[in-house]
Amino acid sequence: MCGIVGYVGYRDAASVCKDGLMHLEYRGYDSYGIASLSPKLSVFKSVGKISNAKNISSLKGTCAIGHTRWATHGVPSEINAHPLTDCGDKIAVVHNGIIENYAKLKAALIKRGHVFKSETDTEVIPHLIEEKYTGNLLDAVSKILPMLEGSYAILAVAEGENTIVAARKGSPLVLGVGDSEYIFASDAVPLIDYTKNVIYLEDGDIAEVKSDGYKIFNGKKIVKHPISKIEWDASVVRKSGFPHYMLKEIFEQPDVFSNTIQSVKENKEVVALIKKASSITVVACGTSANASMIFSYMMEAVCKIPTRVVVGSEYKYFPTPASSLVIGVSQSGETADTISALKISKDMGAKTIAVTNVLGSSITRTADVVLYTRAGPEVSVAATKSFTAQVAAFIEIVNLVSGKKLEPAVSDILRYLPDVVSADVSSAVELCKNASTLLYVGRGMFYPVAMEGALKMKEISYIHAEGYAAGELKHGPFALLCRETPVAALCLHGATYSVMMSNLKEIKARNAPLVAVGEAGDQDLEDLCDVFIPLPKVSEYAGIILSSVILQIMAYHCAVALGRDVDMPRNLAKSVTVE
Amino acid sequence: MSDIQAVILAAGEGTRLRPLTKNRPKVMLPVVNRPILEHVLDAVVKAGIRDITVVVGYKKEQVMTFLNKYPMEISVAVQDKQLGTAHALSCAKEFIHTKTVILPGDNYIDSESIKKMMEADDAILVSHHPHPENFGVVVQKGGFLEDIIEKPDTADESSLVSCGVYTLSPKLIGKISVCNMTDLMKALVSGKDKISVIEADDWEDAVYPKDLLSLNRHLLSAVKTSKAGIVDKSAKITGSVVIGENTKIGANCVIEGPVVIGDDCNIDGDVHIGGGTSIGSHTTIEPFTYIKNSILMNSSSVGSHSRIVDTVIGEGCICMDHISTVTEEVGAVLGDRVTVGPFTILNGCSIGNNTTIKGRKTIDFEIPEGSLVI
Repeated sequence: MCGIVGYVGYRDAASVCKDGLMHLEYRGYDSYGIASLSPKLSVFKSVGKISNAKNISSLKGTCAIGHTRWATHGVPSEINAHPLTDCGDKIAVVHNGIIENYAKLKAALIKRGHVFKSETDTEVIPHLIEEKYTGNLLDAVSKILPMLEGSYAILAVAEGENTIVAARKGSPLVLGVGDSEYIFASDAVPLIDYTKNVIYLEDGDIAEVKSDGYKIFNGKKIVKHPISKIEWDASVVRKSGFPHYMLKEIFEQPDVFSNTIQSVKENKEVVALIKKASSITVVACGTSANASMIFSYMMEAVCKIPTRVVVGSEYKYFPTPASSLVIGVSQSGETADTISALKISKDMGAKTIAVTNVLGSSITRTADVVLYTRAGPEVSVAATKSFTAQVAAFIEIVNLVSGKKLEPAVSDILRYLPDVVSADVSSAVELCKNASTLLYVGRGMFYPVAMEGALKMKEISYIHAEGYAAGELKHGPFALLCRETPVAALCLHGATYSVMMSNLKEIKARNAPLVAVGEAGDQDLEDLCDVFIPLPKVSEYAGIILSSVILQIMAYHCAVALGRDVDMPRNLAKSVTVE
Repeated sequence: MSDIQAVILAAGEGTRLRPLTKNRPKVMLPVVNRPILEHVLDAVVKAGIRDITVVVGYKKEQVMTFLNKYPMEISVAVQDKQLGTAHALSCAKEFIHTKTVILPGDNYIDSESIKKMMEADDAILVSHHPHPENFGVVVQKGGFLEDIIEKPDTADESSLVSCGVYTLSPKLIGKISVCNMTDLMKALVSGKDKISVIEADDWEDAVYPKDLLSLNRHLLSAVKTSKAGIVDKSAKITGSVVIGENTKIGANCVIEGPVVIGDDCNIDGDVHIGGGTSIGSHTTIEPFTYIKNSILMNSSSVGSHSRIVDTVIGEGCICMDHISTVTEEVGAVLGDRVTVGPFTILNGCSIGNNTTIKGRKTIDFEIPEGSLVI
């Protein structure tokens, strides 16, 4: 769960790496470092965010590697930051992933006289390379890779060679092919300032890249991977004028919604597979799991196909019977738990579908069929537009499978979403921002909406928030209700309305401040609650997206009011590539 | 040209275009299915300027979302309170380092006029207009500015009006102490600064909704035919017509260009679309309906057997069947998300956002936002 970048060409390599790492900061941001060759190896490392870095100008040369870290082994510190070097500080390595057998390797290396500086798993790699190095980095790296167990994307450089050697197994790595310049990165975003031609490296690949060309090997043989074109441009990762990427991404949701509907319409295979399925299992984590739960409610209610959702990390203890169709949902396409769940179900003979936002990501190589959501690159750690894209995909799938039963919902969302993204939630923010605990409640499809609202709130504002099925509140959480515990309720007209209203009266009777999202003109609800957030009268399925967006905006403004680092909340990283 | 930059003013609301500007600034109003601001940006880029700053304010997130999609990186300056055009320009001060062309983001301008302004030192762009009394009338002597008279009571058609486009050096921009560009120019002239007067080739402002239709017609005239989507064989299409992706045109439709139709639209059978019409994306038009010289924004629908002429329909409106517009200048202006029931007659009216009209009514007056007409 880190980001790596490498550059070899004619530019100032360290600053290319620095710019690249800034694009990858969402993957981890507790420390960073860069190593360059000029021709001696120099290394710069620091704790904190690269976007706050002042000076790396001491690094010269046209070949460099860099890393932004989310700590797994060893606390965030300068010593544990990558790049890590060998005993003689001649070989430097950056690594994304986990070396599972590092303890054994490290003990053996120490016995053989190597001196370790850090507590990381990664440091075994430069020391192993050092032992095999006789002037050709490619040879040395090829020799040591079979010793490593676990997952990795590695970039290595050695003094005396203006070359980057890269290796990939289980962690993402792409190579941008420019004109007399090459750039490696964990995803395609850092590349686009230099080239739109990209090669997605495969597991087992080893690449040797110099400024005059590249070679990719897999098992001793040279392989030729196709060069893909990046279809989006740098504009999608700008945030011009917006104080945070999250706000920018919230405002992009109307476009994302209609683009993703289109993506489903163009993907006949997915709809055909789902139509045939007798039962479906959806595997996902975090926000994707909440979107998947909405899908399961819709599938069962509208299409009558039994659908269950399993959280990625639980799947291996709770796998699906072999006959099912298994859908893995991951924005980044790199979520380790979701990918391994798809592998397990494939081995058990299930058909698999991946729903992801990232072209060429790892999950797309695992699944039989891929459906792309068209959210565009999402930078903010808190998912907003990718959630809307996933729900849009699910709504359109259900719509097509059911013979267009959700068409009114789709047109309602197209009609109202452009207005809802600029909703005023300031009174709700005033009510919630000083709370230490918040409860979110909804029934039916609004239960996962409530969970997603709570997740947004806790991850960026650090206010403890929980989403509950409104009927569950009386089975315990009621004990928490008091003047200091605001409740946010989703109470739109439809099947759940009247029971929700009685639940909300019970909540009010315990003096809890109440924020309610309801239908404009609902005087009963407005009278009952402390803050009323009106939504237009829409079909029930349209209400899912509109009310989710309201809760995103609420979480965003609470986090801003509390002075939080909205785009990069503490301890988190955008894609969770470790179990 | 690297020694010249542009600042585009896009912070104002454009109150005279309400209700259309209640939910979006004037610069974001679609003309030929693209925001007015995009037409301005395209002209600036075509003229060769690469260093562009846009000043945003009213409903700024919408403008910024649009700018993020624009294929070139553009700097954004924020004017928190809309105190005037010169104040807006001063909000962009930190981005200004060289000779600057200043343009309003809500007026159409062609790239040739911008090129003329790039060649000048300190200059003001002027043009003829049939209604000079709505603008600042420019008084010149020997090719240099003498005075600007803001919205005079009387002015004949030979008068030249300010297009709101200026070229200024950073030194003069540094002198801003007033709120409006007109006042700034007056102050500069009285302070003996020489300001050249340059005549525009092609400029048009949309002050009122009827002007929006005229600007739409004007820019439609340059549209080149392109057809994506699925067009029924029996449909008759003449003139320049753009049909977007995944749009369906039904049997026996008649479309007489210039017309643009966005993506993902459903134009049912026997629909007649006349010239001067722009139809946004995700719209539906039901059978036997006639639309001419109108703007229909995204995600709106018009029912069957209707007649929509000289009309602006905002985003997400639902117009049901048998609706007629009666028109002298403008048939109707509908804000966003208006619902109009069947058999309604719209006679030169303006209908506020989120209003519902139950039907079988004749509407010939202004209806405020959020009304219910029964």
